[in-house]
Amino acid sequence: MANGLKKFYMNDKIVVPVFAVITSLFIAAIVMIMIGKNPIVAYGALLFGAFGTKGALINNLMKATPLILTGLSVGLGFRAGLFNIGANGQLIIGALLSTYIGTKMIAYPFYLSIPIMLITGMVGGALWAAIAGWLKVARGAHEVITTIMLNYVAVFIANYVVNGPFQAPGGVPKSPEIAYSARFPNLITSGATWLSAGIFVALTAVVVVYILIEKTKMGYEVKAVGFNPYAAEYGGISIGRNTVMAMAISGALAGLAGTMQVMGLYYRYLGALGGSMGFDGITIALIGQNDPIGIAFAAFLISSIRAGSNQMQIAGVSKNIVIIIQGIIIFLVATNRLVKTFMFWKRKEVEEA
Amino acid sequence: MRKYLVAFLALVLVLGTIGMSITVFFVTDTGGLGDKSFNDSAWAGVEMAAKKYDVTANVIQSYEQADYIPNLTAAAQVSDVVVAVGFMMQDALAKVAPQFPNTKFIFIDGVVKSPNVENFLFKEQQGAFLVGYLAAAMTKTGKVGYVGGIPIPPVLRYQYGYEAGVKTYNVLNGANVQVLSGYVGSFDDPAAGKSMTNSQFSEGADIVFAAAGLSGLGTIEAAKDAGKGHFAIGVDQDQDYLAPGYVLTSAMKRVNVAVFDGIKSVVEGTFKGGTITLTLKDNGIGMSPMTYTKQLVPKPIFHQLDVLKKAIIDGKLVVPGTKEAFQAFQVPQIQF
Repeated sequence: MANGLKKFYMNDKIVVPVFAVITSLFIAAIVMIMIGKNPIVAYGALLFGAFGTKGALINNLMKATPLILTGLSVGLGFRAGLFNIGANGQLIIGALLSTYIGTKMIAYPFYLSIPIMLITGMVGGALWAAIAGWLKVARGAHEVITTIMLNYVAVFIANYVVNGPFQAPGGVPKSPEIAYSARFPNLITSGATWLSAGIFVALTAVVVVYILIEKTKMGYEVKAVGFNPYAAEYGGISIGRNTVMAMAISGALAGLAGTMQVMGLYYRYLGALGGSMGFDGITIALIGQNDPIGIAFAAFLISSIRAGSNQMQIAGVSKNIVIIIQGIIIFLVATNRLVKTFMFWKRKEVEEA
Repeated sequence: MRKYLVAFLALVLVLGTIGMSITVFFVTDTGGLGDKSFNDSAWAGVEMAAKKYDVTANVIQSYEQADYIPNLTAAAQVSDVVVAVGFMMQDALAKVAPQFPNTKFIFIDGVVKSPNVENFLFKEQQGAFLVGYLAAAMTKTGKVGYVGGIPIPPVLRYQYGYEAGVKTYNVLNGANVQVLSGYVGSFDDPAAGKSMTNSQFSEGADIVFAAAGLSGLGTIEAAKDAGKGHFAIGVDQDQDYLAPGYVLTSAMKRVNVAVFDGIKSVVEGTFKGGTITLTLKDNGIGMSPMTYTKQLVPKPIFHQLDVLKKAIIDGKLVVPGTKEAFQAFQVPQIQF
């Protein structure tokens, strides 16, 4: 009995998100019935749009690539006790810098230019995030405020740059294209969509972050500071160094997400490249319970419902339904204690009966 | 098993959308439906066609720019006509259209050279010129504002047309009305549109023209909040009704007419690839009827606007649509 309960709590990393997803699909189905749509047709379209064809699967994985990275970025921040809302800004700066370097890579072979691109993107994001980390350590400015502000700064820098000094001819806010050697190879092509090798970078990042958090001294220190900074300091761990370090790694991951879009999808900095991926990272980190592997699955979940939502619109269901589903998932995951209590009661009732 | 399931789902979808009639899919840009301007106007054109002909109308809204290619592809797979709107979709459409030679595409605001794409462009500067002239005539503070979405060619045409209208007013009437211009950086952020409009108000402008899609709704809201003596100028559709008495006029661009004509050409079998430019002359561009604000404007100004309109239609007045053309623009001698 007690053993079963313990197992249950140990697995709540899996139970809570799965429960949340199923419940939200159920609630959204009720909403659809209320507005006179058939939920079975809608979910059929959702599945078809996410997995049904080669093109759909490619589109899905291409969407998942940056989301895995922004999810890791935010999730790693959470583990260090930092709420990094600035993944969007870090992503933009990373993408912008790597694009700039990418346009200069014409004379380089791919085995040099691809690593240079990746490093540039990470350094860009890391430096941008480190500003917020440093402000927190040196001045006590809360990272929620500073990262939000830095998002605006990044957006406006990018807008200025791609509408002015770094604009490709033709009047669209976009930069010139990066060199061919700086692009990811296409693994599979289907119609006008393709799967870039960026997905492997994202999956590698999952493994690296997992090892970093769970197996290294640095990960231990970062977690310790996040768990209880004063206890950590008492134990000889520097709060300041680890805060800046955690912010920088978090930013590097976000910068890498932007670089994926540049190297694998657009081949240039396109105005509004950032989209809402940085904020989606918060959602994904929450659903993934800040666990790297959980985050990878959560990112794939979000990308699937996004990709599927387009097909759902073809079946006549508004894309807003998907936003409802996402909202309910987040609500249920964020209030997981509520869910746990609810499930605990259920269990008790069954046992007593 | 899974294979059959997938095939079955595909069948359901295809049967659901393809009947005997012509299937039209409208792919919005990131502004989406509900912007009360560009996308809504295009959708109105699709619905107009659906009412008149045997056409089933569907819509896919794009969540982000990365959705353009997948959405256009998905739409092209299941429909006879795809309506794509917005200059920002040009690159995506250029990749997708050649892959579906049997699907016809109607594209607004950009040019894709493919035999199955009918492109519609507008001379936005002509309508913007007229509202610019009116704004200059109506300002009490001697300053008028301009809020743009993203500086892409159609929006730049609005800006320079507007500035040319103000300049023309200054030259012909010996005035010195100034223009404050700014860009929000997106077409889907009404809050940013509002804050930019408010800052132009606080710098002394009293009439602000917004060519910013959904972001422009913030301008209208700001004018309403600022109260009497402040006006917004709407764009693309007749937006005067959104805040009666606070929207001086709207620079109309009849996207709905273009979309309708495009679908009509498919229905009647006259569709051919190429580019059609709509202007003031053929009523593709114009000013709103000013339902709520007509009484505020002195009669002579309407007369002047009519004279200018005629001069534009007759080709005596060529309104600049680019920065270079604007810098070279000389106000012609016009007798009212």
